[in-house]
Amino acid sequence: MKDIIRKQFDRLRARGAHYVDTRWYPYEDSNFLYMWNGNLKANNASSQSGLGVRVLYNGAWGFSASSDLANPEAIYEKAFDNARIASERVTFPVRLAEKDAIVDSFNSPNEIDPFTIGLDEKVAFLKKMDEALNQPGVVQRTSMVEFVRKQIIFMDSEGSEIEKNIIEVFPRIGVMGFDKDGGMQRLTYMPGRKAATRGWESIDEVDFLKNADRIVGELNQLLVAEDAPSGKMSVILLPGIMFLQTHETIGHALELDRILGYELSFAGGSFVRLEDFGNLRYGSEKLTARANALEPNSPGSFGYDDDGVPAQDNLLIDKGILVGAITGRQMVEEANAKAKRQIFDGSSGANRATSFYRVPIERMTNINIDPGTDGSLEDIIANTEYGLVLDGDKSWSIGSNREQFHFACDIGWLVQDGQKKQVVKNPTYRGETLPFYNSLSAVGDESTWHVHYVENCGKGAPNQIMQLGHGIPVCRFDNVQVGE
Amino acid sequence: MSQKVIDLLKKLRKAALDRNLKVLLQYHEEDSYLMRFANSAISLNTNEHLVRLDMVAFDDKKQVSFSLIVDPADFATMEQGLDRLVEMLPHAEPLSYVPTFPVFSKNVFDERAFDPELAALSNQERLDYFNILAEGLESDDVKLSGIFSSGTTTTAQISTTNEHAQYFRSTDAQITAVLSSESLKWEVNAEQSAQKKSDLDPEGLHEDLALLVKHYQEDQAVQLPVGKYTVVLGPAATAELSMMMGYFGMMGQAYKQGYSFLKEEDQGKLIFSEKISLADDPDAVELFAKSHDQYGFERKKFALIEDGKFGSFMWDQDSADEFGQNPTGHSVDNVSVVMSGGDKEVSTLKELLEMEHDEDILYIPYIHYMNVVNPSQGMVTGSSRFGALYLKKGGGVQVPFNVRLTQKFTDFFGERVQWLSKKQVAYNVSSSYGQRNPMALLVPRFICVKGIEISHSNPSY
Repeated sequence: MKDIIRKQFDRLRARGAHYVDTRWYPYEDSNFLYMWNGNLKANNASSQSGLGVRVLYNGAWGFSASSDLANPEAIYEKAFDNARIASERVTFPVRLAEKDAIVDSFNSPNEIDPFTIGLDEKVAFLKKMDEALNQPGVVQRTSMVEFVRKQIIFMDSEGSEIEKNIIEVFPRIGVMGFDKDGGMQRLTYMPGRKAATRGWESIDEVDFLKNADRIVGELNQLLVAEDAPSGKMSVILLPGIMFLQTHETIGHALELDRILGYELSFAGGSFVRLEDFGNLRYGSEKLTARANALEPNSPGSFGYDDDGVPAQDNLLIDKGILVGAITGRQMVEEANAKAKRQIFDGSSGANRATSFYRVPIERMTNINIDPGTDGSLEDIIANTEYGLVLDGDKSWSIGSNREQFHFACDIGWLVQDGQKKQVVKNPTYRGETLPFYNSLSAVGDESTWHVHYVENCGKGAPNQIMQLGHGIPVCRFDNVQVGE
Repeated sequence: MSQKVIDLLKKLRKAALDRNLKVLLQYHEEDSYLMRFANSAISLNTNEHLVRLDMVAFDDKKQVSFSLIVDPADFATMEQGLDRLVEMLPHAEPLSYVPTFPVFSKNVFDERAFDPELAALSNQERLDYFNILAEGLESDDVKLSGIFSSGTTTTAQISTTNEHAQYFRSTDAQITAVLSSESLKWEVNAEQSAQKKSDLDPEGLHEDLALLVKHYQEDQAVQLPVGKYTVVLGPAATAELSMMMGYFGMMGQAYKQGYSFLKEEDQGKLIFSEKISLADDPDAVELFAKSHDQYGFERKKFALIEDGKFGSFMWDQDSADEFGQNPTGHSVDNVSVVMSGGDKEVSTLKELLEMEHDEDILYIPYIHYMNVVNPSQGMVTGSSRFGALYLKKGGGVQVPFNVRLTQKFTDFFGERVQWLSKKQVAYNVSSSYGQRNPMALLVPRFICVKGIEISHSNPSY
């Protein structure tokens, strides 16, 4: 297949293509198991393979993909023709930032390939979780686990050939019950990752059982709890909601394709402008954020992106000042040209596609907040006069330029005079992005930090789902509007 | 085409029988094209041709499935899929109920929603469409974005019970065009759903865009005070709200799992405005409707809301099996929901702007990033986007910065509904995550509702 691909590169280059690349997926397998109230509702396996071809011609992209590999030339021909027609409407000809031609491979770290584990053992894990969750107060219980393994062969007309072998494991448990007012309450647990691997061994049964007990206990407190208060107060966001706050209002806001207007017809833009890099105060001095694609145990780490650029660790926000973005080869060239200054030195290696049949776009890697110096969760609570501790991502809604947001959380605890008090239900908060991050008044230390994965980030047209991560500490924000 | 697909399924059925498998075989083929625009250029031009097979094996209370994206000529790989099912089935956990195994009692062939001309649409025609809708509206500051997504979707089913098969083919197009100011960051849009080529109307989109751009360039921009407003919803807002309400409120499974704001005892009761009627209509070809569901159930018009009274929950086969209910023909990838029109003779944005009104009206065409804050209460939140206008009582127009609405479904569709347009439009809500599954709703062009609360108002674009 590699010889066929190289021949097609030569053929299209001879016809005037500036650049051609291919992602060949010899296989992408997944296995999804979902148990609901003891019923194994999903026991699904899937497999796919195919070619995705990207052609740059006269400053415009064409893409084509197919699972039919009997006639690969036809896929290249369609991609070339798509680029040719696209070149009839070009305003800023696509240029790609320089990169080295790389021949290498990447294997995601894992000790036990989950596909070598028998179905019986996987079902046994779900049954054990289901039994652990089957306690008074729980009306519904869910346990699920998804396994993915894929091989991606990336080749481009600049001489890169990169083989990636990636394995992922995504487990989750949850409980639901009806509160004293008849409202539905739910809590979920997905483990943070402090280990250095991401295979079957990352499923820690002891940890799951401990957290099964925890969420059942918390659910029972929610069922008799009063509604969360409303008004302006401090909010202490645990990683179970802070990851999503970061994801939506730092991660998406700093994708360079959004900043340059490439997502306006669907996901939206960004309030960030090119002139903001290097001087916009995004948050208080306690806020340092980075895109770190080198975390070993996260789906946001992949060795090389789908431009063939090595994974990197880059600062996005340095002590509150905006300094970086999530970028690929195309967007950094356009941004530097439009800004008439060198904002970006090169691609940050964040151009990724969800499958062989989708085109790579700027995606988050691991968008992390650095741990702070404000101690443990208990220390932060002890230094809080009045507010809420919040956890769980019940709902999220963000303005089209990521300038404002509204979140509902699964659970809250009232904090008064430095003490964590009773559980409150249905907590919500909203804010405007910049004032909110400038109200960041405490960042927890390493003891509060863990990597939280996201398995379903949606973006792009055609739509794409992506897996990524967030390394997040506990954070406190002051004067936040709660309860609307 | 249809015979080729059916022959493949029959061949696969035989291979399943050879393995003593009791299997439902589902075929999905898409031929998808998407031309994407950004910064007044074509930012991506793409097509995908993909064939998927879903195989579901049944053994009394056990059920397992295997899905693959496959070369239709590669029968060996498909057979390997059947072999995987043979491996998986003994390890499956029995359900607490017996899942119904589909028995197709007759052959079904439904191409009502297929248009060969739309299927054959060329790259040049997609580009021409956008050139017409944007003609004269772009500038150094005002840039064009959008998508022209079109394609053909073929689905078919057979089971090992007999040789009867179902075959469906449809064409669809979803067009979104956005004009936005680079300097001020405002954005307006116009959209269209098409099932056949003759539906395509770039001139209509141009008319709406030109009107919106004029107002956004010439009228005063305002930060509205938070509070209650009389709101006119455009078709995008109405369709997305209706879809979300149907998904969270009216699916039997969601109800049983506690995600619905509606209860069994609400059936037949006046929950919504008497002006609101909502139905799933399998005869609405422009909504890519299918005559039968994936279990062979002949779909009939199904009242969800009739003159404000809640009708019934929709039950897919599996949920019906689990909860002891009768299926209602909703084992489908897409429903075809129609909201009846009203009596207001306001058919276009221009007519809305010229309409006499004795109070200020906030026009919200689109609600961005809607999500359910509290499913038990049916409470959703989202922000206005894409061309909101504030129509002053005296006849003037202002351009409001985006606002947030956090309200219940019954706030939008309850007793505060004032009027609905007579004219209905199809609004395409297809997503392209995973496989192509065209879906649209037919909704009134405008709905006017009193007392909608704005909880936050942006200080700028």
